[in-house]
Amino acid sequence: MASTSQSCIAQKSWELNNSVEHISSVDEIFKYDKKQQQDILIAKPWDKDPHFFKDIKISALALLKMVMHARSGGNLEVMGLLLGKVDGNTMIVMETFALPVEGTETRVNAQAQAYEYMTAYIESAKQVGRLENAIGWYHSHPGYGCWLSGIDVSTQMLNQNFQEPFVAIVIDPVRTISAGKVCIGAFRTYPKGYKPPNEEPSEYQTIPLNKIEDFGVHCNQYYSLEITYFKSALDRKLLDSLWNKYWVNTLSSSSLITNDDYLTGQIFDISEKLEQSESQVSRYVLSGDLHEKRVEDKLSKATKDSNKTTIEVLHGLMAQTIKDKLFNNVFYKSDRCQLVAMD
Amino acid sequence: MASEFMEIDDASKKFMAPVGVPSVTVSLHPLVIMNISEHWTRVRAQEGKAKQVVGALIGKQTGRKLEIMNSFELLLIKIDNDMIIDKAYYTAKEEQFKQVFCDMDFLGWYTTGVDTPNESDIKNHKQACTINESPILLKLNPYAGHTDLPITLYESVTDLVNGEPTMLFVEVQYTLATEEAERIGVDHVARMVSNETGESSLVAEHLTAQYNAIKMLHTRVKMILEYVKAVQNKELPKNHEILRELYSLTHRLPVMQSPKFNAEFYTQCNDVALITYLGSITKCCNNMNQFVNKFNILHDRQGLGRKVRGLFY
Repeated sequence: MASTSQSCIAQKSWELNNSVEHISSVDEIFKYDKKQQQDILIAKPWDKDPHFFKDIKISALALLKMVMHARSGGNLEVMGLLLGKVDGNTMIVMETFALPVEGTETRVNAQAQAYEYMTAYIESAKQVGRLENAIGWYHSHPGYGCWLSGIDVSTQMLNQNFQEPFVAIVIDPVRTISAGKVCIGAFRTYPKGYKPPNEEPSEYQTIPLNKIEDFGVHCNQYYSLEITYFKSALDRKLLDSLWNKYWVNTLSSSSLITNDDYLTGQIFDISEKLEQSESQVSRYVLSGDLHEKRVEDKLSKATKDSNKTTIEVLHGLMAQTIKDKLFNNVFYKSDRCQLVAMD
Repeated sequence: MASEFMEIDDASKKFMAPVGVPSVTVSLHPLVIMNISEHWTRVRAQEGKAKQVVGALIGKQTGRKLEIMNSFELLLIKIDNDMIIDKAYYTAKEEQFKQVFCDMDFLGWYTTGVDTPNESDIKNHKQACTINESPILLKLNPYAGHTDLPITLYESVTDLVNGEPTMLFVEVQYTLATEEAERIGVDHVARMVSNETGESSLVAEHLTAQYNAIKMLHTRVKMILEYVKAVQNKELPKNHEILRELYSLTHRLPVMQSPKFNAEFYTQCNDVALITYLGSITKCCNNMNQFVNKFNILHDRQGLGRKVRGLFY
């Protein structure tokens, strides 16, 4: 017993004398190993397997920056670049930066406009110790969900030909606010003509009527990566202390009021979808064996959409009711100088 | 002799002005805090030990209100034994950020450190003054404990000390900016591990957030209650300012009681109820439709040879 504590003391005093700092393993991810990255770039393991990258890790800061940038664009699409590195089958996004580009949904390779900006930014970033390279791009789909449009698919295929490894991230700031959780997706396209072996239906998403065709035509040309997030020890501490002041904002947010525009739009969309499905239902023809179960009819899809909207609205009302109960149902009885709670 | 001791005592506070009235109100976005934290962590991970980092703060200023919205790193270069901010690097970065954030300006700079501002901070601050007349200094302490945000903001004033005009710092109070998307992002990132179980209910997630906030409210109220009880039992001296604030706080409850508010609130409830009703009807219609389809299929199977389609249509 005594010997172990002695060696413990000895180790600690050695550490103190040599100011050895423990970098917890959580923060190891922030270290950029240039040699390792160059080796990976030379080996190019993704060339042989179109499904090589399976998941993606995004840093807390990168997520926050993307959300803020997407939000600042309002109803316009914004775009930016991702900086990071590769680790086995995982892509890691450390940082992001915004690009001064407009109209990303109208032309392929809108990034070309910002090449000068990109190179200048990455150059100056290297000078302050940010050594990672570009690993992907992100853009926003305000209000219409996280998926790749036809133009996005072409852009991404181009990127995957010339700038591998590259990933496409799509973020929807409007749905983020309406649903109360971050609406984000990370995608990689398959090479032209490649047929994915085992096509599992991806999670259903509400897509507005005017975009549904675009979605349907291209949805089999890409797959989505599993997203996880990471943060440093200092981030964790700061976020904890942030909560000490931020809880007020959580209580005081009223999503019914912030989202009413989006909600109205959704209701219009649902009503149009229902009208369309009505015509489909009345034309339903009996056929001997029904086609594969995966093709859902329009009514089911419209139902899912209306469920989603209803749930969001109910959540908003829950928040309002909580506030009402907390702050409105207490009375001040001046004669007895007491606060009396009402049921 | 005594004056010497005084000087040593005040050495750390040499650059702090006596408490005065700050001239600006500052609102800080959590994104900036995360930026600085990442910058510090990254430098530490790469160099192997912690170093002081420096960067610029940008945002919007309207009159006396400052909103610090973003930040970026700055380069420190060694000139005659001093670490000075590299001006050329700053100008290059300024050009860049003006392209993307055209309505944001340079508002100040940040650094990491443990105490109140010191000698080198003054030098860097003077440099920042060449870009903006009255920049803000943000100091983050990466080694602080868990309780409060270890961030302090200062602005500079020029005072006469010993007959010479010197630059002193005054602490500035700040609030946290509240943008809905940011709040959701911060919330998500702060609690990200809790939803790995797979079977996550949407309602549970939403209510957990509310529950945590209410828990905080409860602890705060409890603390106030204990304070008042202690004062009543004469355990603590009466602080009239606090008691006055408490009085005004309790008098503000209930927050909204006018009949107009009640009418609006009930209208909102009715709207939500209507949407819920429509949603349930849609769901019902869908279920009915599915049922009828399946029923038709079953019956058709039985009458396969007879082609009596029209009957079930």
